[in-house]
Amino acid sequence: MRLSLFLLIFINGSCIGQTAVTDASGREIRPPAKVERVYAAGPPASLLVFAIAPDKLTGWTRAMRPNEAEFFPQRYANLPELGRLTGRGNTANVEVVLNAKTDLIVDVGSTGPTLASLASQVQEQTRIPYALFDGRIESTPATLRSLGKLMGNAAEAEKLAAWYERELADVRQRLSRAKEHPVVYYGRSASGLQTGGKGSINVEALEVLGARNAAAEARPGLVTVSFEQVLLWNPEVILTTDQNFWSSVWADPRWRAVRAVELKRVYLSPHLPFGWFDFPPGANRLLGLWWAGKLLYPQAFDVELRAKVSEFHRLFYRRVPTAAQLDALLGEPGVLPK
Amino acid sequence: MRNERTLNTRALTYLLAAGALVALTALAFAVGRYPVSIAEILSLMASKVTGSATTLPPNVETVVMQVRGPRVLAALVVGAALAAAGTAYQGMFRNPLVSPDILGVSTGAALGAVLAIFFSQGILVIQLFAFAGGLAAVGLVYWIGSRLRGHDPLLALVLTGVVIGTLLGSVIALLKYLADPYNQLPAITYWLLGSLAAIAPRDLGAAAPLALAGLAPMLLLRWRMNLLALPDDEARALGVDTRKLRTLVVAAATLMTAAAVAVSGIIGWVGLLIPHAARLLVGPDFGRLLPLAMLLGAAFLLGVDTLCRTVATIEVPPGVLTALIGTPFFLWLFALARRSW
Amino acid sequence: MPAESKELVMPAESKELVMPAESKKLVMLKVESLAFGFPGRTIGRDVSFSLAAGEAMCVLGPNGGGKTTLFRTILGLLEPHGGSVVLDGVPLGALSRSEVARRIGYVPQGHSAYFAFTVLDFVLMGRTAHLGVFSVPGRKDRELAARVLESLGIAHLAQRPVTEISGGERQLALVARSLAQEPGLLVLDEPTASLDFGNQVRVLEKILALAASGISILFATHDPDHAFLTSQRVLLLAEGRALEIGAPADVIRPDSLQRLYGVSVEVLPLAGGRHTCLPALR
Repeated sequence: MRLSLFLLIFINGSCIGQTAVTDASGREIRPPAKVERVYAAGPPASLLVFAIAPDKLTGWTRAMRPNEAEFFPQRYANLPELGRLTGRGNTANVEVVLNAKTDLIVDVGSTGPTLASLASQVQEQTRIPYALFDGRIESTPATLRSLGKLMGNAAEAEKLAAWYERELADVRQRLSRAKEHPVVYYGRSASGLQTGGKGSINVEALEVLGARNAAAEARPGLVTVSFEQVLLWNPEVILTTDQNFWSSVWADPRWRAVRAVELKRVYLSPHLPFGWFDFPPGANRLLGLWWAGKLLYPQAFDVELRAKVSEFHRLFYRRVPTAAQLDALLGEPGVLPK
Repeated sequence: MRNERTLNTRALTYLLAAGALVALTALAFAVGRYPVSIAEILSLMASKVTGSATTLPPNVETVVMQVRGPRVLAALVVGAALAAAGTAYQGMFRNPLVSPDILGVSTGAALGAVLAIFFSQGILVIQLFAFAGGLAAVGLVYWIGSRLRGHDPLLALVLTGVVIGTLLGSVIALLKYLADPYNQLPAITYWLLGSLAAIAPRDLGAAAPLALAGLAPMLLLRWRMNLLALPDDEARALGVDTRKLRTLVVAAATLMTAAAVAVSGIIGWVGLLIPHAARLLVGPDFGRLLPLAMLLGAAFLLGVDTLCRTVATIEVPPGVLTALIGTPFFLWLFALARRSW
Repeated sequence: MPAESKELVMPAESKELVMPAESKKLVMLKVESLAFGFPGRTIGRDVSFSLAAGEAMCVLGPNGGGKTTLFRTILGLLEPHGGSVVLDGVPLGALSRSEVARRIGYVPQGHSAYFAFTVLDFVLMGRTAHLGVFSVPGRKDRELAARVLESLGIAHLAQRPVTEISGGERQLALVARSLAQEPGLLVLDEPTASLDFGNQVRVLEKILALAASGISILFATHDPDHAFLTSQRVLLLAEGRALEIGAPADVIRPDSLQRLYGVSVEVLPLAGGRHTCLPALR
């Protein structure tokens, strides 16, 4: 009797920390008892893992450039470059991942069957649990919580999730006060003629903000449009992530005919250390929500951007930006109306 | 009749081709995503010609003069340039299956553009790099090819072109691999697919003179180019310095193609199919062949591009349509005519 | 595709070969101790002869003996490895390709047609040496080409693609092209190779007529009878060396042919001072 009880407890005990968790793609993940080292397979994942428990992050997918590194505490900025393992063109060497003594692989983004099967494949290959999480902006709090639980940092994750939730609620609340919803065109690439159709991840921030995507009639995904089409849509606001495009728009007689250019409402998204608007498609886009919200609905979004940026950096990048850094971020030509 | 090209039939062919081109150009001006009526176009043209002010909304003027006009003209220029280069090369290499890219100009231009995109440059720099890349690639191929002694000079050129083209292609592949998948890679992919969507008047102003500069020597030397179709010994015995002539042809064709690719990206099949079709219609005499090839090339690309920009909200890559339309049409033409090249 | 008939259509009375009087250039060719071959490989040496205006000389020798390479060197298509080629007193190297082409016409051994040029256009290519760099053949050139075609009896082929005529017709078209150059010297490399007997005879007749009209002829053949039929002089070429040179009756003998080809032949005299060569089959 005692022996069987003992065995029962022993067996149960060794299963603690091996509890199966279902990730966002519906797969069963069995994390080890203690998760000390987490490999983030893509930038959106790196961001969240770093925010929750920076010491557990094994490395970045791409080495930080100096102008990105200055936003992070130095010891973290210098973490090794390990490459991507995220199905969007992998550059990671699986042996390197193994060598980094990884306990857990995490990716944040799409949770569809293609990526799920990729994750399962890597998991089988390396015997390291590979968890997928939903990368949509509005799912960020839930993702933070699940990720935190999986990593064993539930408390820390909860703080972040709760904060993010409040921010999202604030955004929604202000949106409800916004009276006019302008037509917005998001132009990518040096020509500005690449854009995202309805439902495309590139314009997710716009859709969360309830803005009217000029290219809504195009199919979801990244598309090229003709200039006549843009003229026809005649957006009132143009957002872009390409600095070359932004500078060229003012002198180009074709773009000058577009309403947004006439109204001088063409804005360039900041991109350091992680872009605010389109890519990488992670939690960093909260800043884009505030930024674009302020541009699109100035009355409803009468927020102090500097304070928002500062707070986000403090929580997610673990470093409060200096006044000079904020000036540089927000003062870059095109970011804010003059 | 099967083997005879009377003056009348040839003249008729030219007339038909020119007529089709004019009609197609008019059509291209009249259609587009932005609704502009024929009356508005005519009124705009009239006001431009007479110099008087126009009462049309400014957007209409922008569309016709800044957007659609340059794009239509660029399609004509690029189509004609690619067809001319293809015609010259098919004669020079005595091979009707040769395309303008045989010496690597398109791959070199692609590498230049991809590099510029990789380093986040603006459109002007991308075009300059593409143009320079095209010229450099062919220069390299020609330099190496002409140093390979003891081989048929044409074979040496072709082989070198294939080898260098493959090498450059693998560098492009490497750059695509290293590129940022969110930002640079889509830009690279779209450039490689080719498009006339972003054509600005400035692009036309740069490409047209360059294409013309490449065309001039070909037109001037149109008789001698026929002799390149003969074995080297015979051509030289007839009084032609074949090495010099070949160098000139390569330089001219490369100039035209690089200028075209720099503004439009890579559009395939025009330089391969059109000269072939033209040859089936008027025979191989370069002086008769070149004008027809250019007319057909311009009309073909204009037709394709007009479809690309009107058939859907989003743009269709022209290279896809040129292959889809061109290939069956060409097979039909080939089956119809029973003569050799 | 070759045409149905293999016969070269000849008018009943043989037309005089038309060469405009003003173009009757007299070309003197002098070859001195010529060594010839390919870059890095000399295959012949010590070939010397001179060809006077209006003279027909035949180069007789086996396959691989160097006839084609010799001709190409004389035409300036290959660099000489030694010795000299002098044309009308001017060294060959001092002449441009155009200048050479205005003096020497070349009828190569075979011709593979890649593109379907009409026979007329094909012959017009021979006018290139007389045209400016940027010029196109004009009316005069077309008329001359038409006359040349007429004189060779292939005027009816003018609009046919060269790819669709028979081998014999193509050979005549090659001759026509070289005549369009208005040369003083015609170099023909085995002009009767791959022709049937009838066509061979016709081509030989042409050579005779051309020589009679004042054009110097240098032609290569492997058949001794051709030399007997057409030439005033014969050069025996084997392994790149000139074995003998002289009148056919003097040079073509059973022993010299034995040296040349390694086979026994009989040389038989015929009526009218002519000779013929027959293999003495074992």
